[in-house]
Amino acid sequence: MTILPFPSFLDDVKEKGFKKAVFEGIDDSVERLTAGLNVQDLREAFRGESASRRPNPRLTPHADGFWLHMRPSYFNRDVTGMYPTFRLGWLSSYFVFFETITGILLMLWYTPSPEIAYGDMLTILSNVPLGQLMRDMHRLGAEFMVAVVALHMMRTWITGSYKKPRQFTWFSGLILLVITGFLSFSGYLLPWDQLSLWAVTIGASMAEATPVVGDQVNLLLRGAPELGANGLLRFYLLHVLALPALLFVFFGVHYYKVVIHGHSLPPKKENIGEDSAKRVPLDKRVYFIPDMLTYEMFWLGATTFIITVLCIWFYHAPLENHADPQVTPLGTTAPWYFLWIQGALKLGDKFFWGVAFPTIALGGLALLPYLDVTPSRRFAHRRFMLTIAMLLVSVSTVLSYMGLAKFAVQTSAETEIVHELTFEPAHSKVGIGRTIPFDQMIVGAYTTAQTHHQDDMSTNDMIARINAETAANGQFDQMIQELKNQHLGANQLPLRFRSVPADEAPKLMQVMQEFAHHLEDVPEELPNVWGALVITDNQGGLKRLDWVVSWDTVLIEGGNVQLDEAGEPSLVYATEQVAMTDSEGNPVLGDDGEAVMEEVPVLDEDGNPVPARRIYSDHLFIHQASAYFD
Amino acid sequence: MGRLLFIRSIEGRILAGITMFVGMMILVGWVAINEEARMQAFVRQHNGRSIERGAELFASLCAECHGEEGYGADNRAPGLNNPHLFGFDPVGLQTAAITNANRALVRLNKDTDRLVVELTDAENPPSAERQNEIIAEVEALETQIEEQQAAIEAAVAERIEILGTLDKAVDNGLFPQWESIEDSDRTADNEVEVFFNTNGTRLSQVGWAGDLHGYVVTTLIHGRPGSARVYPSGTGMAAWSQTAGGPLRQDQIEDLAAYILNYDKGANWTTEDFLAVAQYGKPLADGSLPTEPPPPPAGDDVLGILARWDADEIVGSPVSGELLYDAEFGCTDCHRNGASAPDTVGTFTRISTERLTLPQFTGYSVEQYLVESITRPGDYVVDSYSSGLMPTNFGVRMTDQQLADIVSFLLTQE
Repeated sequence: MTILPFPSFLDDVKEKGFKKAVFEGIDDSVERLTAGLNVQDLREAFRGESASRRPNPRLTPHADGFWLHMRPSYFNRDVTGMYPTFRLGWLSSYFVFFETITGILLMLWYTPSPEIAYGDMLTILSNVPLGQLMRDMHRLGAEFMVAVVALHMMRTWITGSYKKPRQFTWFSGLILLVITGFLSFSGYLLPWDQLSLWAVTIGASMAEATPVVGDQVNLLLRGAPELGANGLLRFYLLHVLALPALLFVFFGVHYYKVVIHGHSLPPKKENIGEDSAKRVPLDKRVYFIPDMLTYEMFWLGATTFIITVLCIWFYHAPLENHADPQVTPLGTTAPWYFLWIQGALKLGDKFFWGVAFPTIALGGLALLPYLDVTPSRRFAHRRFMLTIAMLLVSVSTVLSYMGLAKFAVQTSAETEIVHELTFEPAHSKVGIGRTIPFDQMIVGAYTTAQTHHQDDMSTNDMIARINAETAANGQFDQMIQELKNQHLGANQLPLRFRSVPADEAPKLMQVMQEFAHHLEDVPEELPNVWGALVITDNQGGLKRLDWVVSWDTVLIEGGNVQLDEAGEPSLVYATEQVAMTDSEGNPVLGDDGEAVMEEVPVLDEDGNPVPARRIYSDHLFIHQASAYFD
Repeated sequence: MGRLLFIRSIEGRILAGITMFVGMMILVGWVAINEEARMQAFVRQHNGRSIERGAELFASLCAECHGEEGYGADNRAPGLNNPHLFGFDPVGLQTAAITNANRALVRLNKDTDRLVVELTDAENPPSAERQNEIIAEVEALETQIEEQQAAIEAAVAERIEILGTLDKAVDNGLFPQWESIEDSDRTADNEVEVFFNTNGTRLSQVGWAGDLHGYVVTTLIHGRPGSARVYPSGTGMAAWSQTAGGPLRQDQIEDLAAYILNYDKGANWTTEDFLAVAQYGKPLADGSLPTEPPPPPAGDDVLGILARWDADEIVGSPVSGELLYDAEFGCTDCHRNGASAPDTVGTFTRISTERLTLPQFTGYSVEQYLVESITRPGDYVVDSYSSGLMPTNFGVRMTDQQLADIVSFLLTQE
């Protein structure tokens, strides 16, 4: 007898013997943990045998257990293959949990404050073991999630699965799509780098176009007229609290509806106008335990493995310079999944294309199952709706393309070219000018004119001729003046061009050739152009690279080069102020006794007008340890 | 693909799943092993890029006074590319050698005295054997004393030579109080040593107890209110950090500090390096550096600016205005095509025919409208463009003349 008021394990041992008592105890515990399956049941299930007990114990976890009560106990064999689901719904759910876990780990190292946030990013990259991997996974998972959820919606459209009785399932799914977009977008701001600040500034400014309440919405979202401490905190709370809470609620609603109505069958597998998803014939049943369970465990392993491989070798989350509201980077775009709105905005009215159009598009999607009430789900009977689907895909692709910076937003050619050569690392790309190995940045002034090589002339002769020409026409002095304006030290100013040391610095040669190609590509905007690269020592391990473009000024109006009758670009000619003279050559004096000045064109020796020469320069510094070229 | 994703047998799926999971763990473990090296590489790379950004800031904000190459400028600001700042003290090295030799001399003399006392002790005379030993030891000590004296003489000569080569740097302001002891005997007692203990490096000179990084960062944050006394014609160094009312964020301050500290040549400084630097902003001996202080910025007091233009007869030049507009301040990066900001072409026409007809601009001249738009861009934003895109600090970055140049250029844009 035990002193305890209930039978204990010791009683069992006394009654049955030790071995039997232990085995039965284990069996009992396993059955409690699995909510209905004992060791023997599990063994049979994972061996692929049929259950030996009746009633079927593999159904009990669905009836009695918490974790499986939402999962169906069996599926129709017709929906377990690749088609018709492509596993997109499963993948969407996978990413919800994947993002939650990686996100919580990142929260450990993050403070939502403009003073600290960027430093936290650097800490994650420089002082948190596996921090970079975690950040890459969270970011890549977010991009995948948006894509997967959108594809999931397209699939549902194409197989007509939104039709009765699944209208509300579709609607809840659409809400999940919107939440996913906003989740991803709100996370964009958190690193507080240039990329995030400007992408979100552009995105948030769309809200401004909303009639009547636009300014208020914008203010509520940003917390101040400009994105700052309040805005960052709001986006952070949206990202980690409000939106995930909504997401989980609608995730529950959506999945509940999926299970209630059953996974819709491939269209040709059921009669027109009939919904037979819930009537699964015995020979078509695929039980969750053990078949779907092992499938899902396998997919879980496989998907996570693939993401890990991608994040180790192929993808790193971007991190640009610290956010700076004073410096607008060239070619700012919204995140890729909002590019279609940015593209639409270029079509015209900000309110219509930025607010009304997306609202109409989303509203149309929401109403789709109530507008398309034809009973048939067969592809052949749904040509109109499938056409609309393809149109939707095409239109959003075209609009997204239009959203890119290179479409319709033209900066001046010289700025574009220098930016193209020198831009800082972003989206796994970097300007080729930064990739010259440090020991190949040989101090000197180099010109693209060198590449206009003529057969009968050696490189050195060519350089000598360029030096003589640019010295005579003042273009070299103009460059020196420009470099002085850019605070290049007086001792650093080059005296003349030298030839590119192609043998010691092949990469430098390659960059100069690329520079020359870019300049030659736009002969109308930049007639008679030459570019120069001036490399100087700045400090130990630090070089300065000045990129200079010099060209004949052309008339540009509204972003277009004005052409003359001959189809040549209209040049702007240089003028100078000279004292006005009368017919006898005496200076004309004004009322105040000063010589009257007049503006006259500058003429060369042959009496032809000299085009006004324009010059542009930008510079960057490269440190030995920056490793842009690794 | 379908076959791969839908492995028929349960054990196949379990096996594949476990393989994938183990594979993932191995990969993560492999990454974890390499994390230390990766993080160190990141720190190096980040420091490099921090120096680059600091160089950019230095060229645009600091080079004006501290010189493009960090050598400082006459009566404006001290050199930062400066061995004195980085604690390179060649005189101190020699002084330390002299001190060490002097201490050794004291010890050697004491030892000699002790032996002599023992040798000449009348009450307790040493044995003959011991006497020979003592004499040998004393002779050895005398050799050592001669060596130390020679070392002192060499170090003193070296110090005089170094001080000689530093004459120009001293003229440039290297040791402001040097004259007070210059004429005293440089080999005498410890006056020179005491002087270099408190003047040998910049940090000891200003009595800074922390490290150089802290000194540079603190100076950048708070500026040097007192420097106006050292540089009578200058304005003193402004506070640069936002925490002290300046324009720079803390990360930019750190970038600048990283750049300035990168001037350090460590063991490779030479006495020659002292000569190129304007130490306390005194005129360089050859007078090669400019003496004019930079003109003050225009600010954002629109009517004040216009009044100064009238009072100082500032007239803008459209030609240099265009250069400033295109290149120096990069206005055309946005003001082009009218996509993200109003087009440059037609500015004058639009203002005179459209904007000034708006009720809030009653009584404005085109110049006033332009000055306000440049220095206070947030006050009015043309419909259909986003607010907050245009930087608000042009008033601080432009002088009155530059602003007038740009306005006169824009007046030509019909």
